[in-house]
Amino acid sequence: MGRKVEPFEFKQAVNILKSSREKANCLGTLRHMISRVSDESIFHHTCQYFLKEHSLGYTNDFAQWAGESLEERALAERLSNIDPYSFKSISGTRKELLRVIGEYTRDFPAPRCALSGDEFYFNETITLVFPVGVKVKNLVEFFIALQHIDAGSIHFHFYEARVRLGKGVDDFSRWFREALNRKALAKNIGTIDPFMHNIDGIREHIKEMIEDDLKAEMEGLRQ
Amino acid sequence: MINLYTGIAPARDLLLTHRLCEKLNGKSFLHINSTREGGGVSEILQRMIPLLKGLGIDARWEVITGDRKFFDITKKIHNGLQGNPEDITEDMWKYHYEINVANAKRLDFNADAVLIHDPQPAPLVEFRKNGIWMWRCHIDVSNPTPGIWDGIKKYVKNYDNSVFSVAKFSRTLPIDEVFIPPSIDPLSEKNRELTEHEIQDVMNGFSIPVDKPIILQVSRFDRFKDPVGVITAYRMVKKYSDCRLILAGSPATDDPEGELVLNEVKEAAGNDPDIHILLLPVFSDKKINALQRAATVVLQKSLKEGFGLTVSEAMWKEKPVIGGAVGGIPLQIVNGVTGFLVYSIDGAAFRIRQFLNNPDMAVRMGQKAKEYVKNNFLITRQIRDYLAVWYAMENRGKGVIEL
Repeated sequence: MGRKVEPFEFKQAVNILKSSREKANCLGTLRHMISRVSDESIFHHTCQYFLKEHSLGYTNDFAQWAGESLEERALAERLSNIDPYSFKSISGTRKELLRVIGEYTRDFPAPRCALSGDEFYFNETITLVFPVGVKVKNLVEFFIALQHIDAGSIHFHFYEARVRLGKGVDDFSRWFREALNRKALAKNIGTIDPFMHNIDGIREHIKEMIEDDLKAEMEGLRQ
Repeated sequence: MINLYTGIAPARDLLLTHRLCEKLNGKSFLHINSTREGGGVSEILQRMIPLLKGLGIDARWEVITGDRKFFDITKKIHNGLQGNPEDITEDMWKYHYEINVANAKRLDFNADAVLIHDPQPAPLVEFRKNGIWMWRCHIDVSNPTPGIWDGIKKYVKNYDNSVFSVAKFSRTLPIDEVFIPPSIDPLSEKNRELTEHEIQDVMNGFSIPVDKPIILQVSRFDRFKDPVGVITAYRMVKKYSDCRLILAGSPATDDPEGELVLNEVKEAAGNDPDIHILLLPVFSDKKINALQRAATVVLQKSLKEGFGLTVSEAMWKEKPVIGGAVGGIPLQIVNGVTGFLVYSIDGAAFRIRQFLNNPDMAVRMGQKAKEYVKNNFLITRQIRDYLAVWYAMENRGKGVIEL
């Protein structure tokens, strides 16, 4: 008799935007405010960026604002390269943001201020987490569910989990490794660059990797 | 009733709404605004109240009453909050308060949650009894005439929280501020699917031939909607592409300036037989629906805007939309993806020409526009958000709430 597999329960988070009561119209103020706003605000503007439906020119709201509103493309590029999941806590992300902006202001002349109405508004979120009513017990069930599950659920398990669990690991990889003992698949999922795809792109990549894993298993090639 | 939205609205919105209603079942939710007819707020409330009731929430909608003098004052306050130079005297503020006092004596405020819409009934908070009181601001107050915001803020700070449509509308307040965009109802008479026959019937009723591309703007006759600018843009387009322009709007009982602006628009239109100015009575929803579906390009060239729900209405109908980059319009139009944002009359004319000359691009953007509205601007999402904020207020202090 095989061991009992812990099922995977899909959950989802819905966020309501809330003001952090601060705004910035120039780079100096932005840096100052980044140093003092709540962790929740830094989390929102970095880790929740991919929940917003816009083109993937950048990887966080600070980069987007620097690029689009201040028209400081080089700074936008540098800010886009910050990986919030590589830090153990939000304070690491905050320090890195401050370092990058600080270096930029030392190296380049002060950029113009944003036009009125185009300021950076610091926000945070009220997050409501709820199960979506789908539990799966094996990889085939997971594959089927993944095709229909809401993008917000994928964001919750693939992006938010990295900070929630504090280990930089997504929920999917963890379940594949710990519950299904599919270490190779978990490792492959871990190689997906979270910043280079929108959520539907992430969904497609995971589906492809599961298909490959199942195919390899059927062909008897899986180690 | 909410089940009618299955397959139309995102499943997540319906699921969370059901879960929140399990938690809030039987509790009462009172909405108060200043008009039952005309404008986006009353349209949403007409649909939202029965839906909330169907979900087990004891929802009520009350409307404050006032005379012409009161609504003249509140229109000035409204315009002043949106940045128009207005002089509100002490006597006017006093009258604004007195009419609210009279309404407070008449209305029953007994509810678990109370949502007061816009500045007209804002002073009612002075008479709160129980429950959570929230102030919902639908307009752009980012750059108000000095002094006018202070006249409203003195009431707003006494609410438990405030709700703005867009982050950039918010002002510094000592209470929590959350952001909830308004929404459209895909099943309402204004947005439901229509047959070609129904659309043609409406166009025949207005005696508007569908013989050439139609440019449409649906909005109140209000200077902030720049209807005269739309006529200028149409004339610039007309040099290159033959087309018609329809300007359609309903009057609102709380907008005494409408008639003045309508006359300015008629004068600007002159005798051009291809400009159709339609003053629609309230509840012309099916006609507006048909006009939007008959249009080739839809404009919302506002200079100031609360949210501009007509943008989402047209996007839901897969229309290419051009909007002024003000208020909540940039929240709906992702520039170059779900439509175009413009900053001038010239910009509007240029983008109309682009759409008229690139029908494939217009179709592509229209399809993306509908998907975007589905995910962000349907009534089911707004109901979900109101309930979520209410529930979050009952669980204050928690950043993450597990349901």
